Amino acid sequence: MMSKAAPKFYDVDMPIRSFVTKRLIGVKSESSVQEAAEKMVEFSTGSLIVIEDDEVIGFLTDGDIKKKVVAKGLKPDMPVKEIMVEELITADISSDIKDVLELMAEKNIQHVLIEENDDIVGIVTFRDLIDIERQKLETYISRE
Amino acid sequence: MKILHISDTHIGEKDHYNEESLRIALKEIEDNDINMLIHSGDLTQDGNLKYYKKAREIFDEIEIPYIIIPGNHDKRSGGLSLFKEYFGSPNGVFESQDAVVIYVDSAVPDTDVGRVGMVKYDMIKEALAENSSKPIKIVVLHHHTVPIPKAGRERNVLSNAGDLLELFLKADVDLVLSGHRHYPNVHRIENTVFVNAGTTSDKKTRYGDINSYNLIQIEENRLKVKTKRVDGSKKEKCFPRTDKRIFYEFGEKIFRVAHLSNTFISSSSKFLQTHFFNALKIINSLDCDLAIHCGGIVEEGINQNYELAKNYLDKFDMPVIYTPAGRDINYLGYELFSEYFGKMVQSYDSEDILFQGVSSAQYDSPEGYIGETQREKLFEKLENSKPTFNSVFLHHNILPIPHAREKGLLEDSGDFLREIVNKKIDLVLTGTSSHPSAMKIGDTIVVNANSMSSVYQRSRYGNSFNVIDIYEKVIVVYEINSLWGNRKILGVWERNNLKEV
Repeated sequence: MMSKAAPKFYDVDMPIRSFVTKRLIGVKSESSVQEAAEKMVEFSTGSLIVIEDDEVIGFLTDGDIKKKVVAKGLKPDMPVKEIMVEELITADISSDIKDVLELMAEKNIQHVLIEENDDIVGIVTFRDLIDIERQKLETYISRE
Repeated sequence: MKILHISDTHIGEKDHYNEESLRIALKEIEDNDINMLIHSGDLTQDGNLKYYKKAREIFDEIEIPYIIIPGNHDKRSGGLSLFKEYFGSPNGVFESQDAVVIYVDSAVPDTDVGRVGMVKYDMIKEALAENSSKPIKIVVLHHHTVPIPKAGRERNVLSNAGDLLELFLKADVDLVLSGHRHYPNVHRIENTVFVNAGTTSDKKTRYGDINSYNLIQIEENRLKVKTKRVDGSKKEKCFPRTDKRIFYEFGEKIFRVAHLSNTFISSSSKFLQTHFFNALKIINSLDCDLAIHCGGIVEEGINQNYELAKNYLDKFDMPVIYTPAGRDINYLGYELFSEYFGKMVQSYDSEDILFQGVSSAQYDSPEGYIGETQREKLFEKLENSKPTFNSVFLHHNILPIPHAREKGLLEDSGDFLREIVNKKIDLVLTGTSSHPSAMKIGDTIVVNANSMSSVYQRSRYGNSFNVIDIYEKVIVVYEINSLWGNRKILGVWERNNLKEV
């Protein structure tokens, strides 16, 4: 269980709705792992939604590509479908930030898909949440 | 859900108040099975007792739930106390099973300007959070959040409109209802529809218009706004409730443009040299076809800053085009800008893509202004050149920017914005108030850039610039941190996908 004390910037009891990236980059299930990796580089994203017949059928992170393909010395020409994660871990768009952070910790994941009325409508990543604190670091190093 | 939206009734004497018009509007309740009546302020002409009593009599006849908020006229003559006595709280939250309506008094006593103070801002935020799962979310304010056309100088947009706009979009508000300007207008920004009512029963109308009101119908997948004049004529707009959110087909990449602003180059410590040179390196490595500097090139328009700026900005590998901010033309800047960076109005014009600059800066003033003549010339050029992709860039913002009081907003933004949207200009780039934002209004994507290299910036993510990738089917806007180069997507949109359903 995570501590209830969160960085003071976050309104921990606010719905995650305001923090959701409501745009998702996807890849077709028959695309190759290499094509998926190219998309991740092109759009500077660590995860992709996997699409088949206009439906979301899975999820793929850069970690999956590292673990399931590159580290095993496999060629990245297999379809994305073979290495994607089929079980989608989701949170409702009206959940509190606290609940989403707890879900990330419990499942040991850094990306949570966000649902509204049974549709995937966005994503929240751990990086999005810690990015908010970046400016403090920046101000710190830019002092002259 | 069916709403009758009336506004600016100005109940008072016959020389300006037309009760017959109000009666025509109220008759819609029965004729159209309306579920709720919303009055977005200026119920009375000047907030005095006689008119509040008259208004009370009229509203006593209403048999459906209704919401009335005060406008600036209702608060005249100490009218707010009377408003409370006769109509209850000027702020509140109405909840039904499917919907929440948050209504807030935005009028500042004895002035025409609008403001939602911090307490009320938090009230809206909390109410939206508590009602996050309600399928329909509506906010009512007397003053407008988005500039209104035919209103002359834009002086009455809510002073913290940028914060409210950000809040509404983040919280997925469906509908924002306002009045005040006596001119009916509808804009859709992302998935939020901003509806301004004309005056329902005051003789003071704009542009030769007559009294009007709005009939709004919210269904599961669409939202319809019908603006009806009292002579029975009507105009209807219909919008999908949500746009596409998952993108996987992009087509070929056609063009990449770096979009930067407020570099504020100078020899002072407020200019962050490391940020500038890191950003320069990143932009040069990104294979951009063009860079657009939306003004705020130098900290002030003096010779030593311009010399330095020219020296630094010449290090970009791609062509750079510029538009000035007020501070670029301060002091000797008006002459120095042309001497070092060329024409005041610049453009990039290829066979199928046009980036057209607009000069909005004024001497010694943070306020922007385009003017009728320049606007006419601009749209004439845009119409005649007819490339497949039309873009306009200027320094001042045409939509409110978060965390900034609306001083940078273009004075004539209402008319300019309306024309941009009507003409379906693909992209507008601006660079004021040092906060990044990107949103789609109608079919047009409007992007503002943060300060790339000045301590004066307003983003939690630090100094940044934007990169815009134009694909065959899609436009992607990134914000890139000047110092570290981290990239995040500000938005992805289908090109001209807003279809009326």
